[in-house]
Amino acid sequence: MSHHAAAAGRPLGVGILGAGPVTQAIHLPALARLGDVLEVRHIMDVDAAVASSVAARVGAKSSTSMDELLGDPDVDIVAICSPHHFHADQVIAACRAGKKAVLCEKPFAMNGGEAARISAVSAETGVPIVVGAMHTFDPGWLAAEQNWGNLPDTAHTIRSSIVLPPNARFEDFATEIVTRPAAGRPDFSDIEVIKAALQGGIMGLAIHDLPLVRRFTPDFEQVEVLQARHVRPFGYTVSLRTPSRVIELRAVMNGTWKPEWTFEAIADDSALRIDFTPSYVQAGSAVATFTRSDGSETTSFGPYGHNGYEGEWRELAGLANGTLQAQSAQTLIDDLTFALSIAEATVATGAADHANATRTAGVSA
Amino acid sequence: MSAQFTVQATPAAREAGAVTQTVASLPETFGPVPAGHTGPADVLVVAGSGGWTAEAAGAVQSGARGIMVANPVPEDTSELAAVADAAGAVVVLDLRWAANPALVAEGSGPDARAAVRSGLGTASLLDSVATAPPGTDPRQLLSDHLAALLAVTGQLDGVAVLRRDASGYTVSGRLANGAPFTAQGVLTAARPAGVDIRLYTADGGVAVQVPDPDAAWPAEVRVTGPHGNLLLPTLYESAHRFAWRRLKEHLSAGTRPDDLAGFARLTDLYATLTAT
Repeated sequence: MSHHAAAAGRPLGVGILGAGPVTQAIHLPALARLGDVLEVRHIMDVDAAVASSVAARVGAKSSTSMDELLGDPDVDIVAICSPHHFHADQVIAACRAGKKAVLCEKPFAMNGGEAARISAVSAETGVPIVVGAMHTFDPGWLAAEQNWGNLPDTAHTIRSSIVLPPNARFEDFATEIVTRPAAGRPDFSDIEVIKAALQGGIMGLAIHDLPLVRRFTPDFEQVEVLQARHVRPFGYTVSLRTPSRVIELRAVMNGTWKPEWTFEAIADDSALRIDFTPSYVQAGSAVATFTRSDGSETTSFGPYGHNGYEGEWRELAGLANGTLQAQSAQTLIDDLTFALSIAEATVATGAADHANATRTAGVSA
Repeated sequence: MSAQFTVQATPAAREAGAVTQTVASLPETFGPVPAGHTGPADVLVVAGSGGWTAEAAGAVQSGARGIMVANPVPEDTSELAAVADAAGAVVVLDLRWAANPALVAEGSGPDARAAVRSGLGTASLLDSVATAPPGTDPRQLLSDHLAALLAVTGQLDGVAVLRRDASGYTVSGRLANGAPFTAQGVLTAARPAGVDIRLYTADGGVAVQVPDPDAAWPAEVRVTGPHGNLLLPTLYESAHRFAWRRLKEHLSAGTRPDDLAGFARLTDLYATLTAT
């Protein structure tokens, strides 16, 4: 195992496993803004034509083999943007290949066992891992963190609400996508479809903000799902409770053009609201707003010039250069455990709700 | 020139309904009972605390032509409705949020009810949050909240309370097309009191923000669709004043409002929820 030192003044080399829409529309545009510190050198995808096409855009090598990318001495940082079930093994392989830092798209593992294996390998190899929870790297969130005082201790209510157009709307503003996955027509009468949608909703969408929720939930290990419902065509409404917190999660992806992505933490005498920009486009950071005194006193932070995805890459560059310290593995494991526990309970509760057509009360006006 | 209708209110009713300042904004229509006047006032204001229906019925039987109820709690209104019908009296309910003119407008003006109901057929989700200061009785907040929701949505099915505690409540149910709805109450002094209603539809939605009636700040109703984001005309009139203006219209025209019938639906729903 050897670390490949970057030549002085030369940007760090990036290799990306998986060249789907997220790589094309999110990571490559973000990296294009950081050309003085990061340079894409290798793109791997199981579809050779996609790998070649996407790599050609940035003048990188392409391959269809993870081993070939990990063996490339020009690659200092590995980004794992493959399907979820490959993540754990690929993170471990990247660490063992002696790379300088690893970015793994969320979720970085599918169960606690995988997370523990990753943590052990990261500790053994010393390779820092960043999980792609982009909002935790958003300058708006980071400004809130610097200014929220004791709100994480006093907040009693936490809300995450995500309203988004179909991904294609923003992908097409960000790049020219090749090989977009075909959209299906799900059968919502099939309970397995509902279960898969709820699982995907939590582990694919809510997971962006669950690390934020957890920061305001000291007793996160005691989370209880009060109700979970699927929202058509894609989304969820999930009501959670811990002994000290109320947590409400909402998401709707419909045909609207108007995105609205908010995170709120509310205490008796102060409240924080963060309005995030949509993914894919380079629309700057979130705006964090604190309110007090019936809303008559407000303090806002942002917008700043870059979003959380660019923030992730700046973090990775700092980690690879040794100018930043990696987040503790325990934080990543706790975030994952929190998300998995919510996903599991949400699927069970939502499936039961779907199966139970009993209506408890009704009124007409 | 003296006002057309005299008004009488107990101190509690006067405070609950911000009666003095609201009546002062309709000076040609409403005014105090002149000194030395005997007999009932034309309009009696009743505070909407427990027992308000009996108090209002008594006032009608004593000769009041109009009754204004300030922020009523859910109660069986059937006896009051019968008494008012027999006497031809006008009973108007001054509801904290539901009486806001942006929710249900006069005549055929654009309002939140029409905007929301036109979107219910393709609804994906209705999500609503009511905010009030700590110390507020969550049951009263829920009543105010449901009144506002019923005013704009019409049918709500399968309504159930998921939780109710010191920080508020969460209620869920389904819209007429089976889409979920949620209503959350949050107690905090960090934000202005009010209710926020969001309907998400296949290609956009409706966002309604209703403030408390202690000032004439307008509610906001925004309709999002392929056309863009349309702000309905803002109405700088509080729920209190709009209720009094409706009372004026009915007294002047000799017509009867359907406030009590609408409130009976809230009372039925509320009774279902509090029984569980």
